[in-house]
Amino acid sequence: MPPTRSGLARRQYGVAALFTAPFFLLFFTFTLAPIGYGGWLSLHREQTSGLGLGGEPEQVFVGLDNFTRALTDAQFLGSFVTVGVYCMVYIPVMIGIALVLALLLDSAYARAKRAFQLALYLPNIVPGLIAAMIWTYLYTPGLSPIIDALDKVDIPFNLGSDAGAVGAVANLTTWMHTGYNVIIFFAALQAVPREVIEASTVDGAGQIRIAWSVKAPMIRGAVVLAVLFTVIGAMQLFTEPFIVRDAATTIDQAWTPSLYIYQLTKAYDMGGAAAASLILTVVLAVASFLVTRFSKKGATL
Amino acid sequence: MKTRSMKAAATLAGAMVSMALVATGCGKGADTPADTPAVTEVTFWSWLRASQEVTDAFNKTHTDVQVKFEQIPGGAEGYGKLTNAVKAGNAPDVATVEYAMLPDMLAQGNLADVSGDITDLVKSKYPAPIQELVTLGGKTWTVPLDAGAMVMFYRKDLFEQHKIAVPKTWDEFKAAAEAVKKADPKARITDWNQTDSANFVSLNWQAGAKWFGIQGDSWKVTLDSPESQKVAGYWQDLITKDLVTNVPAEEVQKRKAAGQVWTQLGGAWAAGGLKAGLPDQAGKWASAPLPSWDAAPASAMVGGSSFGVSKTSKKKEAALKFITWMTTTPEGIQARLASGASSTLPAIPELADVAAKNFDTKFFGGQDIYGVAKAALPTIKTGWVWGPGMRGVFDGIGEQFKLVQTGKQQLPAVYGPVQAKTISDLKSRGINAS
Repeated sequence: MPPTRSGLARRQYGVAALFTAPFFLLFFTFTLAPIGYGGWLSLHREQTSGLGLGGEPEQVFVGLDNFTRALTDAQFLGSFVTVGVYCMVYIPVMIGIALVLALLLDSAYARAKRAFQLALYLPNIVPGLIAAMIWTYLYTPGLSPIIDALDKVDIPFNLGSDAGAVGAVANLTTWMHTGYNVIIFFAALQAVPREVIEASTVDGAGQIRIAWSVKAPMIRGAVVLAVLFTVIGAMQLFTEPFIVRDAATTIDQAWTPSLYIYQLTKAYDMGGAAAASLILTVVLAVASFLVTRFSKKGATL
Repeated sequence: MKTRSMKAAATLAGAMVSMALVATGCGKGADTPADTPAVTEVTFWSWLRASQEVTDAFNKTHTDVQVKFEQIPGGAEGYGKLTNAVKAGNAPDVATVEYAMLPDMLAQGNLADVSGDITDLVKSKYPAPIQELVTLGGKTWTVPLDAGAMVMFYRKDLFEQHKIAVPKTWDEFKAAAEAVKKADPKARITDWNQTDSANFVSLNWQAGAKWFGIQGDSWKVTLDSPESQKVAGYWQDLITKDLVTNVPAEEVQKRKAAGQVWTQLGGAWAAGGLKAGLPDQAGKWASAPLPSWDAAPASAMVGGSSFGVSKTSKKKEAALKFITWMTTTPEGIQARLASGASSTLPAIPELADVAAKNFDTKFFGGQDIYGVAKAALPTIKTGWVWGPGMRGVFDGIGEQFKLVQTGKQQLPAVYGPVQAKTISDLKSRGINAS
């Protein structure tokens, strides 16, 4: 007997549920539940009494106090400023380099495209932790051939200054993420209709002119998307400054929002850390919302 | 970036689920009285040198208790891990707790009250100053392993070659620092650690500062005192005059290897690290008492560890059996020293002799470095108490060091902010402090 329409649909639902269940299970267990627990923690504070030798601390309900503390803490607010400055240095440089490289790869003169793509992508597969450790060595005077060489030609690089710290971290993340964005941009460039390029060639445009006035505007959507994803990644900046900190003296314990949160957990202030995390989550959610808005706009351009 | 961390989370999730399955599986087996295991397995977390060797030796000689050792990081990370594990209910049975961190671990409720089982043992075997370190609120919480008596390791060959006397006081140390720089412009007498504050804290102890005290039901926090100021002023002067290295830790190690750092201050346990880090300089190092402020020798303790039973452990008896063996028997000490990696000075005087016999002194040209460390023990300044929030104090001073290094701050000014922050942190945790 042939299966009825509704039976088939029901069976398909069943199959669909079976395939999506693992996702929802993990999503609930490792994303929603922790956020819920974080929400509960953010409304409480651990309290002991007396000399603090009396055993386990209790969780006391403190309302929104943890949030007020975070939002009035100059260190926490300052960490957003640092990330802002960092973004202003890092994003134009990284996206700019990635765009130029992608356009070069896409130009008619490019040779060994595959090899270059692979080479450019390589830094991205180095774990951030390892990359940060390697770069920390490269930033340390007396150990680094680069710093010593710069010193010899009288270009001092001071990791101990505020600008030096931002520069050092931005340089490291640029090194890591440029290749990834080159791949994205290159893929977008492949989708640019060849007729358009041929038409501009016929009109007498050179390679540079084509790249700048035809190709680049046509992948604007991809560039906007990359910028906003990068902003979201940059706001969660943790590993790189955490490691480079050892050598860069101006990177303090609250240099970025994530570092600030980590510092609170070390002081056993789980409530404060949870509140700060939720604030960061909200900021990120707003940024994510902007991503979707802009990417829609970008696609229609 | 986002997708990658999601992937990592999923992998971790998978691993955790399977671990949880294993754990529940084990739990079921233990519940049935019929197959109650004859062997009790306890887990042990530590970062101390030769912990694996000690565990192996214990397992070889014991049948009723078997220990599973897990290496964890030292410092703030290790204690954070322990605190989280106790909360999560998967803490090890045996935890390593440095004396400085004991009040903090108690404030977090990480340790089980085993005073009924260990008070007599600790009272009968350990010298009074060591007992004090593990006795808080009238209870004995952990069993001490070692005494981190602070000494000065120095390059005997270089001091002799340049006819510089080994300094006995801090004044002589400064004079020697100038002589060292004169003898070799690239060399400095010692390294100023830019980030790790442990040695500096103990130098304050040696000078007679008392950072924590108990007044009734409240902690008295006094980082900033005339004694502390004396120490800070002295070291600031050495830094300003460029008489000590002021470079990142990685480069210090390089300079040490090149013979450009002539002394190293540290706990007795630091000899093991020196030996491992500078194998080429075997036979060139020696140990001497820490320079003192007046002619009378004085020392302090830096580091020093004890072992306790975690709050969530259900195998208290077996855990204590292992702890007692590790800390109070010659076999336990022998196992720790035999590997050659550890130079721990056992807190029990008789066992210090066992340790001395087992330590290979070739690196120190045959010198009895245990003799030096043992002699330092009775000179440790009395009255120092570790308080809760030490993790924050070590960290806070370390952060201030960074400002000192860039010249934004002078050492004598580092105490104030850390003292204020410590008091406010303790208060926000509900602990009485002023």
